[in-house]
Amino acid sequence: MPEYTVLTVVSVLVVVALELFWWRTGIFRTAQYWLAMAIVFAFQILVDGWLTKLSNPIVIYNPDEMLGVRAPWDIPIEDFGFGFTMVTLTILLWRRRLARDAARAAETAKADR
Amino acid sequence: MAACLLITLPLEFVLGARVYRRARALLVALLPVVLIFSIWDIVGIVRDHWSYNPRYVTGIRLVFEMPLEELVFFVVIPICGLLTYEAVGSVMAGVRKLRRRGAPATRRVDA
Repeated sequence: MPEYTVLTVVSVLVVVALELFWWRTGIFRTAQYWLAMAIVFAFQILVDGWLTKLSNPIVIYNPDEMLGVRAPWDIPIEDFGFGFTMVTLTILLWRRRLARDAARAAETAKADR
Repeated sequence: MAACLLITLPLEFVLGARVYRRARALLVALLPVVLIFSIWDIVGIVRDHWSYNPRYVTGIRLVFEMPLEELVFFVVIPICGLLTYEAVGSVMAGVRKLRRRGAPATRRVDA
């Protein structure tokens, strides 16, 4: 198996598992998350398409370490897993932090009363 | 990358994403992501998964040959993602509020 492919699949599985079995923020059940991801993916195609275009690439991929499926344009299919992990992990950490801050604020409010 | 920041900047003010205004939370969310993806990038470079066209990078290399551009990427893209997420959230909340205001009063009595 190409290494970039393996790393991407593992990263997606790890993030999904973190959410489902440990953090349980519930974002996968919200329209807000999926809508945001749809927008992010649309912009990823533009930016990533420009970074990876074979005619004049900025990032050059080793064909031995990926599946070789490149679409749309010349974007390696693995990049979408990479992007999913990056943005999902950020949103998860952000949500966890906000939840913690809110819990602390509630705690202080209770103590003040 | 500057274009990505510029395009998403209005989300903070116009759509009320309030991401930059919660700088501490942003930092806490960002740090592990930057760290993990920097390591991934370095693994990718060392294991020859990818390389960078010297024509399009500054040539400034950080630890383990990671280009400066990659660090910028791992900071900018998550911020844009969060701004998108929070902007979608506030737009959805706004729509819900409008709908509630628009709904006939009798419906609320029925409910």
